Amino acid sequence: MEKHKAVNFVRLLSDESVQSSLSSDSCEYYQTEIFDQLPSIQASRPNQSSHVEPCETSQGGPEPKEQLSHGHLSRGSKDKTSLQPLRNLPVCMQGKRTARDRRNMQISNIGFWESWRRSQSISRRRVSAHISESLSGLVPWRHTLHTIEGRFGVGVKAYFVFLRYLVYLNLLHCTLICGFILGPTAFYGRSKNSEPLRYGGNDSVLDFVLGKGYLDRSPVFYGFYTRGSLNLQCLNTPLLYFTGIITILFISLIMVVRRTTRGYKHTWMLGKRHSMNVSYKIFCGWDFTIQDPDAATLNRNFIRNDLKLFLEEQSFSLRAAQRTIGQKVRLYLLRFILNLVVLSLLGGAFYLLYFSSQISQTKDDYYWLVKLVLQYLPPITITTVDLVLPVIFRKISSFEDYSFTTQVNVTLVRTIFLKLSSLGIYLFFIFTTTYQQRCWENHFGREMYKLCIFNFLATFCNAFLWNYPRKLVQEKHPSSCVARLMGKKHFLIPFNVLDRVYSQTVSWVGVYYCPLLPLIGTVTLVATFYIQKFTVLRCCVAEQRMFRASSSSVLFHFMLLLGLFMAAATLGFDLYNHVVTEDVMGACGPFQNMETIYNVTGVCVNSLPISARKTIGYLTSEAFALPLLVFEIIILTSYVSRGRANQRAIERLKDMLVMCSSDKRFLVKQHATMLRRRHIRPGCSTAPVEDTHLSPQKHAPPCTSTG
Amino acid sequence: MGATASQLGKDLLSEYQELTFLTKQEILLAHKRFTELLTREERDLNLNTRVPMARILTLPELKSNPFRKRICYVFSTSEQKDGSLTFEDFLDLLSAFSDSATLEIKSHYAFRIFDFDDDGTLDRGDLEKLVNCLTGETDDTQLTPDEMRQLINNILEESDIDKDGTVNLSEFQHVISRSPDFVSSFKIVL
Repeated sequence: MEKHKAVNFVRLLSDESVQSSLSSDSCEYYQTEIFDQLPSIQASRPNQSSHVEPCETSQGGPEPKEQLSHGHLSRGSKDKTSLQPLRNLPVCMQGKRTARDRRNMQISNIGFWESWRRSQSISRRRVSAHISESLSGLVPWRHTLHTIEGRFGVGVKAYFVFLRYLVYLNLLHCTLICGFILGPTAFYGRSKNSEPLRYGGNDSVLDFVLGKGYLDRSPVFYGFYTRGSLNLQCLNTPLLYFTGIITILFISLIMVVRRTTRGYKHTWMLGKRHSMNVSYKIFCGWDFTIQDPDAATLNRNFIRNDLKLFLEEQSFSLRAAQRTIGQKVRLYLLRFILNLVVLSLLGGAFYLLYFSSQISQTKDDYYWLVKLVLQYLPPITITTVDLVLPVIFRKISSFEDYSFTTQVNVTLVRTIFLKLSSLGIYLFFIFTTTYQQRCWENHFGREMYKLCIFNFLATFCNAFLWNYPRKLVQEKHPSSCVARLMGKKHFLIPFNVLDRVYSQTVSWVGVYYCPLLPLIGTVTLVATFYIQKFTVLRCCVAEQRMFRASSSSVLFHFMLLLGLFMAAATLGFDLYNHVVTEDVMGACGPFQNMETIYNVTGVCVNSLPISARKTIGYLTSEAFALPLLVFEIIILTSYVSRGRANQRAIERLKDMLVMCSSDKRFLVKQHATMLRRRHIRPGCSTAPVEDTHLSPQKHAPPCTSTG
Repeated sequence: MGATASQLGKDLLSEYQELTFLTKQEILLAHKRFTELLTREERDLNLNTRVPMARILTLPELKSNPFRKRICYVFSTSEQKDGSLTFEDFLDLLSAFSDSATLEIKSHYAFRIFDFDDDGTLDRGDLEKLVNCLTGETDDTQLTPDEMRQLINNILEESDIDKDGTVNLSEFQHVISRSPDFVSSFKIVL
């Protein structure tokens, strides 16, 4: 034992003396001996002191290295490590044993009870992990998503995740509809004078496409739901119907806002000041759980593409910063002109829409196919405009010399504007033209139904009649003129997202007039998922540049939010209209016989006990709204100011860190040059002398222990 | 199973439980897998038998990991620095990569795995090797030198808080602690 000790000590000493003579020659900051002994370095690098030595000398007794590491460690780090449980030490097994000896702990034989308790807690955690894992295995399309992610990156995957999210959302809507509207109607029936639902007479299959005849009388539309035997003052069909719709909109609002803010917090707030984007990608990029070589390749591709996109964006912003004034002026002029072009295109699109909706209102007797086309003319126009204009917008934005992301965003903003405003204008047309008809709510619902159906048809045709043949031509005759003209299909996420947002908006707008729209939406979305999967995996080539996942998902949800606001605005406008013009109300649906939502709820509130009525009265009054508003403002202000204060503190601390580190570097450098000077002076260059000068407290303990 | 349990011994087993994040079952499973890597003659020897790195890397859990060699080097206590592992080193490895290991332990070992030249900081050379491991090391998958330089500048800009040109352990842990999914991805379970 004694012999071993001596040998070890000699070896250590000689090693270090060699090192130190090296370091005094090179002025390299990190290789300097003194640097290794700085307390901060020791604290953050326990492995250097306790890992290498104890483990390499595992045969030797614990005493010498014990004292060595004691000498190394500064007081702070020693306190820190002695508090931790042994297994939290990042050292090898032998090192942990030594640490235990150092702490004078007995070899605690873990008792049965302790062992059981510990393994129980671990296995409990494991079970919950397993459960969550198997639950996530139940989440549909996980494998599909993984394949897509590997080939096309996070951006495309984010689109599909978004699609799945919409499916969930619509399923939730369906359950709400069932609970609030379908269930009560099925159970309690409808009013006595409503005609029974029967297929026959002059109904035809065409009605299913047009939403007329049989379908008009079916539960698909608003008119079906009349006040049945469930006729209490606060629990009746009209109220349930209204509550159901409001709940749907409200829950959607909460869900979408939550998703938006979550993403927003990640990208914008963190992104600007202290972004850790690249570091995350590098340091946490690899998934160590991957075992499959294919998955490993996928992961590699994905990381590479992601990094490339990031670099490209950055080099663009560098180039943009170097533009001269002349170039800038020319660029802004160009952008101005192009924006004018965009505006005129939009105007043309809106006029076309107006024209088509005028034509579709003509009531002439045509052949059924012509009638069908005429009936579907506005949806066709909207879809065509929405298909053609974004392509033009994309071409335009490529002239404007924006970075890739900005280009996509600019095109997107224009397209959003196009889609939502064309839908809005169309809604306005329907309102103005159908307003005088009997049961116009059904009519309105029918238009939404048609839009929904046609949207799906467009997706279907786009995939199978355009993208797939294109792909086939590409494969069969890759060098032909046609193939080259058509080019390869890239999956353009933003525009596909917009399509989904658009149809979701239609669904939200129409849900009041056509309560089964969420069900139709769910079915079409599931079908869309498979169609799009087919398109992506079969017909598309991977984009060279990939769209960012995190920021894009924020954008998706923000657009969804816009759609939701539009739906709420439509409903609000409709209800307001009923109040202003009281005469048309009550032709069909839950609100009949001069009822409006206001007097139905009024009756309900009046039937409540007096205290509840007073509370409701207070909650809806200005006297409550004002304090609430003030309270919210105060909370918000306090949060904002606290955030700012923290921001400032962070900045100051960062500066302090930089200063500290530069001080340290300066001192180390000074010390190194001093050493070298002494080294050059004759007579003082022997290694042991230098060594003791260098780190007196480090080698003193071993010397005394051996001596 | 019974044979391996008796081979490990009760005291040793409970000591391992105390010193690692592994449960009794996991330790036994690890022992079973480890003895499978040994040749027939080596099995009769004691626990300090070293398994060479090449044989460790045949484990499917490590096979497609780009950092497999680094993992072996970091957890090896061999004096020749050849990456060979004893059973206890193997347990250390599994403990650090287990579900129940703390973020601190995980980030510490991640740092050492990424510190290719073992000098205690991540300097430009380390980062370059790290990025190459992530993107794949063949010529057509690697980033160009320009891209690499730009990328490393970005990493240093973000994570090198004290501006000394390298990422040290505390800076590294600072980055890692903000990542939500590091703990779940830094995991190897047998």
